[in-house]
Amino acid sequence: MSDLDFEMKLDRLFNEPPAMPDSEAFARLVEMRLDRGWTVRQLALGAAGLVAGLIGVAQVLGSRMVLETAAAAIGRQAEALGGSLLSLLDVGEAASALPYGGQVIWMGAALGVMALAFAVTRAVEELK
Amino acid sequence: MAGARPPASLHDVELAALAAVGDRPAFGELVRRHGSAVRGLLRRMGAEASVADDIAQDAFLAAFERIAEYRGEGAFSGWVRKIAARLYVRRWKKEARFDLEAEAADEGHGGESVVASRIDLDEAMKALSPAERLCVSLCYGAGVSHVEAAEAMNLPLGTVKSHVKRGLDKLRLRLAPATGAEAGLAGGVGHV
Repeated sequence: MSDLDFEMKLDRLFNEPPAMPDSEAFARLVEMRLDRGWTVRQLALGAAGLVAGLIGVAQVLGSRMVLETAAAAIGRQAEALGGSLLSLLDVGEAASALPYGGQVIWMGAALGVMALAFAVTRAVEELK
Repeated sequence: MAGARPPASLHDVELAALAAVGDRPAFGELVRRHGSAVRGLLRRMGAEASVADDIAQDAFLAAFERIAEYRGEGAFSGWVRKIAARLYVRRWKKEARFDLEAEAADEGHGGESVVASRIDLDEAMKALSPAERLCVSLCYGAGVSHVEAAEAMNLPLGTVKSHVKRGLDKLRLRLAPATGAEAGLAGGVGHV
């Protein structure tokens, strides 16, 4: 038998799977291990999802608290601003009766701008 | 559509494609088809039956993890057998049961005087030394080249070639008909 023939014969023999009576049981074992691995993976993914969900909920709750705090701060600032404007109007009315009305109005406006700047600064600080 | 047909009626490449998207029954069918070939190869490489089965299972699980890498260029059986053979070599090296290089220096294991008529490959493989079995199985059973086998076993290429040549000579004696056995001793080595 030539080298080539012999090697072809060897290749053929190696490619002929031996008959194994328990091949079905072997396949079931592999499937069982695959299923087990799949279950473990699903559990791990589920646990990771649960943890991520809990973190997400905590973040949302935290951000809600921040938003509520910010909203309350903005409300307070709006009230303060409204009060400032009203006082400005009062000052304006009173100022018209005064001999130096124009100057008083300008001072009131300047105070209003300062109050607004203060309100904005506070709001930004609250949001930080 | 492939998904509507029973797995048993599908080609290996179709089953592998289904397995790649997580279809485990499709992969189970591949195990059914090729499990014996993989287990047989590992036994021919010298693994005990229980060890061979363990490694074959690991090989199929590894194949499932890497199934997307199989694109049908070669036979699925060959692809899994290569994975299994590498797993076995890795384990074999870890256990360090043999000094392969030292064994290469030994002379044959007495197979030359035996001329049998026709015995099957599994029986013939038993006449080979462990290193010869491993090298011949890797090169002919798992389709690994001599260079790849040398790399897998951390052996010089010449040592692997020597193991393969002596293994083939012994196999030739046992597998060839009685009349042609002596002539076969002069044979060379392929699969470079």
